[in-house]
Amino acid sequence: MRKLLSGNEAIAQGAREAGALFASAYPGTPSTEILETIARQGDIQVQWAPNEKVAYEVAVGVALGGGRALVAMKHVGVNVAADPLFSSSYSGVNGGLVLVSADDPAMHSSQNEQDNRHLARAAKIPMLEPSDSQEAKDFVCLAFEISEQLDTPVMLRVTTRICHSMSPVVFDADAAFEPRPVRPYRRHMAKNVLLPVHARRRHEIVEERLARLAVLGESAREINRLHWGDRTVGIVTSGVAYQYVREVLPDASILKLGLTYPIPADLVREFAAGVDELYVVEELDPFLENEIRALGLRPVGKEVLPATGELDPDRVAAAFGIELGGNGLAPVDEPLPARPPVLCAGCGHRAAFYTLARMGLVVTGDIGCYTLGTLPPLLAMDSCMCMGASVGMAQGMEIALRAGSDHRRVVAVIGDSTFIHSGITGLINTVYNGGSSTVLILDNGTTAMTGHQDHPGTGVTASGVRTSSLDFAALCRAIGIRRVRETDPYDMDRLEAILTEELAAPEPSVIICRAPCRLVERLPLGRPAELEIDCPGCGACLELGCPAIDEFDGRSVIDPAVCTGCGLCAQICPFCALKVDTISRDPLPA
Amino acid sequence: MKSVFLTGVGGHGVLKLSGILADAALVAGFDVRKSEVHGMSQRGGTVVSQVRYGNRVRSTLIPAGTADALISLELLEALRALPCLRRDGLLLVNEQHISPAPLGPNKLPYPENVRELCEARVENAVFIPALRVARDLGNEKVANVVMAGAFSTFAREIPVEAWVHTIEAAFRPEHRELNLNAFRAGQCYTATT
Repeated sequence: MRKLLSGNEAIAQGAREAGALFASAYPGTPSTEILETIARQGDIQVQWAPNEKVAYEVAVGVALGGGRALVAMKHVGVNVAADPLFSSSYSGVNGGLVLVSADDPAMHSSQNEQDNRHLARAAKIPMLEPSDSQEAKDFVCLAFEISEQLDTPVMLRVTTRICHSMSPVVFDADAAFEPRPVRPYRRHMAKNVLLPVHARRRHEIVEERLARLAVLGESAREINRLHWGDRTVGIVTSGVAYQYVREVLPDASILKLGLTYPIPADLVREFAAGVDELYVVEELDPFLENEIRALGLRPVGKEVLPATGELDPDRVAAAFGIELGGNGLAPVDEPLPARPPVLCAGCGHRAAFYTLARMGLVVTGDIGCYTLGTLPPLLAMDSCMCMGASVGMAQGMEIALRAGSDHRRVVAVIGDSTFIHSGITGLINTVYNGGSSTVLILDNGTTAMTGHQDHPGTGVTASGVRTSSLDFAALCRAIGIRRVRETDPYDMDRLEAILTEELAAPEPSVIICRAPCRLVERLPLGRPAELEIDCPGCGACLELGCPAIDEFDGRSVIDPAVCTGCGLCAQICPFCALKVDTISRDPLPA
Repeated sequence: MKSVFLTGVGGHGVLKLSGILADAALVAGFDVRKSEVHGMSQRGGTVVSQVRYGNRVRSTLIPAGTADALISLELLEALRALPCLRRDGLLLVNEQHISPAPLGPNKLPYPENVRELCEARVENAVFIPALRVARDLGNEKVANVVMAGAFSTFAREIPVEAWVHTIEAAFRPEHRELNLNAFRAGQCYTATT
């Protein structure tokens, strides 16, 4: 059958067709739906891992044990998994091992747009880049074959426009799952125990493997395809950029690379010799361009194409001086109000950030929905770097501010899933090295930003099975935090009082703010807010940035269809104009 | 090849609508590609999707100013997306006003005359009270399917049977009749105006 699949769904289908035994991931846009789809299909054992390093390590264990394993993560996740990735290149595999790196050019949902093709080269492993959903599926099967034939992990490098675009895929949706038989495992210390004496020999094998991979790239014409057309212009391209080239320059000669590391040197030379002018069209860094330059060729690339952001037909056309016939409408002259994403109505994070902003604290932030606390009107975050960084950075900021005689206090803000991902180690460091910063764990009981995945704190696995759930308070005490508080963030005066106490204490502390994500727990928190007296229009409640409150004719108005009755506006209205009947929640221990 | 740009506000069914259009085009025998961006869609931000169908489609992204149709589920977002549309393209707008969340004292006002601003620029602009039509059917969530019905009358290359087949497959049995009614209401709306 022929069906529209997203790139992520196609990758999942590829893993199914390859008979994979196991798949693991940590959620991260644009990769998340890969594991979600595999879990939904129910054929392959799936796990949400606490972070990408663990996801990769479990997958390596499966592969060494003889099973086929797929591990998926966003581009920055591969940084976290880099340690086992680089060493598993030396050990090789047994059952096939495929790493899906989902890069995010244009940073639709990321903090950087690093080009992970460099990581495949640095780890000396082969890399496949599909250019649509059909290839995404086919290349997963191919990646498992290459992995087992050449005894190496394989990177499947995709980008947001592959992951989240849909195109037709031919496959048999009704075919029974055929698990690949697990290959026999035998102890092989010289291969899998990377002592220096073993690893030195393994490195030689890695270099020999690269040479064999290059030969594969020369001969596998279904992966690296030549389209001879107009010979005045020849374009080397890969991934989604190939589609833009085909659209903008339908007559050009194209060398479309599917295996982009190592590149097929002879094929590139043959292609270059057959065209008048050689171009490279690729997103982000001049990766292929530099590889081709190393062959002594002189392609045109980044001098005409941008190295930042994603490509599109317009940018490719501009590089070649081509008009695409767009005679479109000019933007409207007057500036339009922006519509950025916001914290949802009733979100517990809003209470925490409003309180932090009110107290004028230095706030090191982290990755998740709560990063939206940076945006106006809350403006309550000083930094956001990478997963888990808030905790270590708070301690570092504290060291510097003290040395500079700046007496402001520092608070780290981190979500439940992010804390498990890599906040824990930072907190151990704070305790061990005598820091005194305060860490606010915003526990909404889910991995919200990526679409509500479970994690070790939720007590449910990726396949929906009940399991033990991590006790944040007990964990913090166990690593040496003596001051652990739990509170309901909607009570902002109480949260402020707790923060004041904990910031005054000369030792580290953790405040756990429990407020289930409103998109998961859809029950209202109370009756919608109502104006009891005429609103004098002071605008105080607008400072919450709540989507349920708008301003009309100089007064605040509440949209009862959006309001969840959380009661924050009533707490801060200086005229007591707002009334909310909140539903009482279970009291938490002090 | 036909290029359709779809826009709206997160949580209001833009991606469901683009999915229905893409599947209907596939059922009709076309090559289809669709792009979307997830991640922030449930947080009230602008959500866009692009659908292209024809004998052979390459890029999922539509070159600026070449879209044959712009379907917007919200007034302000129609205005924002206008530069995607070719000069003689079709603008199809659900006449719904959704205020952006307040962004503090410097927030720009919601433009009052969106319809006039659109009509001054686009000759072929059609405004549909899809939210009202959906409410009359008993569920305002089907406004996006009303828009699908309206668009279908401008996209004769996709037969009605392909739309109906797609809508039947896209919803659970208990919601099928409601969505088919929404589609028919949208069809009738443009047929009679």
